[in-house]
Amino acid sequence: MGQRDTRMKKLFLAAVAAGLAAFAPLSAVAQDAAPAAPVAAEAAPAAAAAADPAAPAAEASAYTPMAPTKGKGMPTSYQDDPAKSLTFQDQYSANGEYALWMHDMILLPVITAISLLVLGLLLYVVIRFNRKANPVASKTTHNTAIEVIWTIVPVIILVIIAVPSITLLARQYETPPADAVTIKATGYQWYWGYEYPDHGGIEVISNMLDEAAALKAGEPHQLAVDKRMVVPAGVPLRIQTTASDVIHAFAVPSLWFKMDAVPGRLNEKLLTIKEPGVYYGQCSELCGARHGYMPIVVEALPPAEFAAWVKSQGGAMPGEAAEAAPAAEAAPAAAPAA
Amino acid sequence: MATTAEGFDIHHDHGHDAHDHADHKPGFFARWFMSTNHKDIGTMYLIFAIIAGIVGGAISGIMRVELAEPGIQYLQWWAQFMGGANDVNTALHMWNVFITAHGLIMVFFMVMPAMIGGFGNWFVPLMIGAPDMAFPRMNNVSFWLTVAGFFSLLFSLFVPGGTGPGAGTGWTVYAPLSTTGSVGPAVDFAIFSLHLAGAGSILGATNFITTIFNMRAPGMTLHKMPLFVWSVLVTAFLLLLALPVLAAAITMLLTDRNFGTTFFTPAGGGDPVLYQHLFWFFGHPEVYIMILPGFGMISQIVATFSRKPVFGYLGMAYAMVAIGVVGFIVWAHHMYTVGLDVNTKMYFTAATMVIAVPTGVKIFSWIATMWGGSLEFKSPMVWSLGFIFLFTVGGVTGVVLANGGIDDNLHDTYYVVAHFHYVLSMGAVFSMFAGFYYWFPKMSGRMHSELLSHLHFWTFFIGVNVIFFPQHFLGMQGMPRRYPDYAEAYTYWHQISTLGYYIMAGSMLFFFVNILYALAAGKKAAANPWGEGATTLEWTLPSPPPYHQFETLPVITDAHDYHDHRPVTA
Amino acid sequence: MASIAPPSPDASRRNLRTGAFAFAGALAMLGLGYASVPLYRLFCQVTGFGGTTMIASESKAQRAAAAATGQKISIRFDATTAMGMPWTFRPTQATDTVTIGERDIATYTARNDSEFPITGVASFNVEPEQAGKYFNKIQCFCFTEQTLAPGQEVTMPVLYFVDPAMLDDPNMKGVEQITLSYTFHRAEDPVNPVPERNN
Repeated sequence: MGQRDTRMKKLFLAAVAAGLAAFAPLSAVAQDAAPAAPVAAEAAPAAAAAADPAAPAAEASAYTPMAPTKGKGMPTSYQDDPAKSLTFQDQYSANGEYALWMHDMILLPVITAISLLVLGLLLYVVIRFNRKANPVASKTTHNTAIEVIWTIVPVIILVIIAVPSITLLARQYETPPADAVTIKATGYQWYWGYEYPDHGGIEVISNMLDEAAALKAGEPHQLAVDKRMVVPAGVPLRIQTTASDVIHAFAVPSLWFKMDAVPGRLNEKLLTIKEPGVYYGQCSELCGARHGYMPIVVEALPPAEFAAWVKSQGGAMPGEAAEAAPAAEAAPAAAPAA
Repeated sequence: MATTAEGFDIHHDHGHDAHDHADHKPGFFARWFMSTNHKDIGTMYLIFAIIAGIVGGAISGIMRVELAEPGIQYLQWWAQFMGGANDVNTALHMWNVFITAHGLIMVFFMVMPAMIGGFGNWFVPLMIGAPDMAFPRMNNVSFWLTVAGFFSLLFSLFVPGGTGPGAGTGWTVYAPLSTTGSVGPAVDFAIFSLHLAGAGSILGATNFITTIFNMRAPGMTLHKMPLFVWSVLVTAFLLLLALPVLAAAITMLLTDRNFGTTFFTPAGGGDPVLYQHLFWFFGHPEVYIMILPGFGMISQIVATFSRKPVFGYLGMAYAMVAIGVVGFIVWAHHMYTVGLDVNTKMYFTAATMVIAVPTGVKIFSWIATMWGGSLEFKSPMVWSLGFIFLFTVGGVTGVVLANGGIDDNLHDTYYVVAHFHYVLSMGAVFSMFAGFYYWFPKMSGRMHSELLSHLHFWTFFIGVNVIFFPQHFLGMQGMPRRYPDYAEAYTYWHQISTLGYYIMAGSMLFFFVNILYALAAGKKAAANPWGEGATTLEWTLPSPPPYHQFETLPVITDAHDYHDHRPVTA
Repeated sequence: MASIAPPSPDASRRNLRTGAFAFAGALAMLGLGYASVPLYRLFCQVTGFGGTTMIASESKAQRAAAAATGQKISIRFDATTAMGMPWTFRPTQATDTVTIGERDIATYTARNDSEFPITGVASFNVEPEQAGKYFNKIQCFCFTEQTLAPGQEVTMPVLYFVDPAMLDDPNMKGVEQITLSYTFHRAEDPVNPVPERNN
């Protein structure tokens, strides 16, 4: 078998071992954490090394993980910016911007107006028609005109909402072009695997960083991972999801992207990230005990840097030969998209 | 005014003999364990719902306290308390057990028993002038099946469920997490619990449908029925048509788990997505099952305390029918991210938004009922006003979530949690408190304290809003639901939310003190403590009503047509 | 116990009838719940819902070939192994460009990495989902279970074509690539059961 196979397998096993042994993400849960961490380091040198982003793995010399920008691709705390903590994260995809516009300009005003209208009417009747103000009740129980109005007006409002809503759906379902960069995200209990079938079959196993490692790397705890899903910015991505065991969901709020990873089937969607950056997400379908501990980090790089990253991972851009020439049948990437 | 309770003096015509018969009660065991009396069964359902509500509410307290800070605080302690191992996965598994138990208890053992079993049993026969339910013995079976279901669920907490004790699958019990993903009998017991509660509810629904169709007093046509009875009728049909689908789905889960079938297992040609379709084919009507009886109660209460008949009675009744019907064809809006094609998603987006129309009709009709009325702000009325506003807030966030493209971000976030707690924890629960304070004097024969009821309302109103309003912010910022731990950026709004829980929990003291006070020292309640606005049949009976009522059926004439707009003359 | 007069036989017969009708409704819905399993499968197979592929006969394949216009489409091949499945399973080529309407053959390789014989069964779908009803398989390893001896490696073919009718479907407008995905699961095996996960 090809040597990359062996390498991938080793890396995979190491990561699984790390995953099994990783009480690290849960240092908050007291005593178990301490003895477990060295076990992980022994059993999985690769994963342990990766846990420290400042110390690149041997073959990854050309790549240093991008430092995140505060408030970009991650949630904002009330203390940092009260206004930003009340609403959606800033969006870094065209569909996300459109959806955010639809929410901010159509949905939010409409629902606020309706709520205030109902509140206003309630306050009015409380003041105007309380027993003191209006001792004798009227007996009116019908008014066809008003009943028609409050049936028709909501219908009109809903039609107004439906137009951008359907437009948004149509845009979200645009299909990726044949030469889109394909990344297959596989959900496991409880980590993500990212495969790059057109780039020499690179497989990245992504585990959550523990609190100390995340802080050391200057990343938000609970969101940071050892190995990121690295993608090029500004080009169409074909994101595919599936799962090995139970249903997971691949979700990145700042890209307005969420897609379930269902065992036994593949889901696919187009995603184009507008600019380079680090975008954090979390598993969004209940998948067992560590559901809350398998975050997603998408690192979008300028295409040239992405190509360098691919090389650093031992892969190859479509059209180039893979670095570590494997046996023919194990090199799917040798046959690039036409 | 002729449409007052005094209009119905039929019962009193029959004098003391009837009373003596009517109040003959069986011994304690026969009365409470083999009960066939709709009022006794209703009382048992209400007590059961309160107990289940305390358990479910306590679990939400555990969750809110845990979420007050990032990191894991108490889960490990709980894991050991429940008999689990002292390790991280068990601790985290406990979180999933808590969210599962909270959801199942509140849905199946608190809201449904209180609304349908409690108020439905008590007041449907009284409001239609029937002596009892159509199948009194089956009524008893329904109740004890529900109790057995509750015990099965509680039992599941203490047996192995995979990564720890208890079922940690979420109330949705999605396969394959609930099949290959959860080893151990806990999930089986949780499923069995749903079987028992579901069977009880199906029998109950059969009972209500038969009672309402066949046992109305002479002259009580369908279009003269009080709206609460209408709401229970629609609810019963939803139960009857939706619950069997859940029963089928969870039975298939059981056989997948234990007998090697592969209905939802891809390894055998099954499809986990099919389980979601089946679950939500039940699950969406289920949310209307939980709110429609509340709609009915609010209609009765708003009319009573406005001294005015309900505005647009027929529109109100058929809006509920419309909500029930449309509720069956919108289920996949719970599955927007599962991998639906674009046309399916567009259809479910459009169909879901349609529901806003009949719901809007109801909101505006309640306001129109009050318009021109002579409003009195007794405790049931203030809870109803709270309901109308908060249900509107929960409803409009539902319109946001209905948009499949918007839901791509909000799905499975705290925004969804906030939305469904606004319609349930404030919608359904507010209507239940409104109904409780409305009918408590009738059921117990004692008046509760208006002061305590109002204090309960205001503190509860503040509490639940402080809990749930910030959860919209958390959801929009991306906080996923069903997480025991979170990134530091979410801390502030989680702390506020937990603070709200303390307010809400403290507020419940007013409720319990109020009940105890009323039972011990409350003033005796008159047949009709609410005055001329209370026109339905239950107010013609003494408080509490005799053990057997309507031995001679009341006759409903046009003069009693309290929903008609024609001025009534005696 | 009731001191109240029992309902008249007429009334109770009427109640029983109504109750029986209602209960029959519930039973019908229960039956529908179970029937949904084959119905859903049938629905998917007929409409391609969820990206379900079609099974084509030789004659349909010939008709499609006759309708071929020479237009091409890219096909991507994807392979996954489910938890507990110790096989290495991958497509021989990641993508291929084929003429719409003309049959083509793609191969996957599978190797049993374990020390005992294992039977596998594949689930599958295509993306985008609307392509399901145009993606026809004439022969496929996924139609049957596959058993591999320890260490055995096999090449498994799938013979397929893309129906030219897709060119007339507005939903297929702009689709440049169809992904054919397989997941190999371990079939139920009473002799060597899937080891229970030790959490």
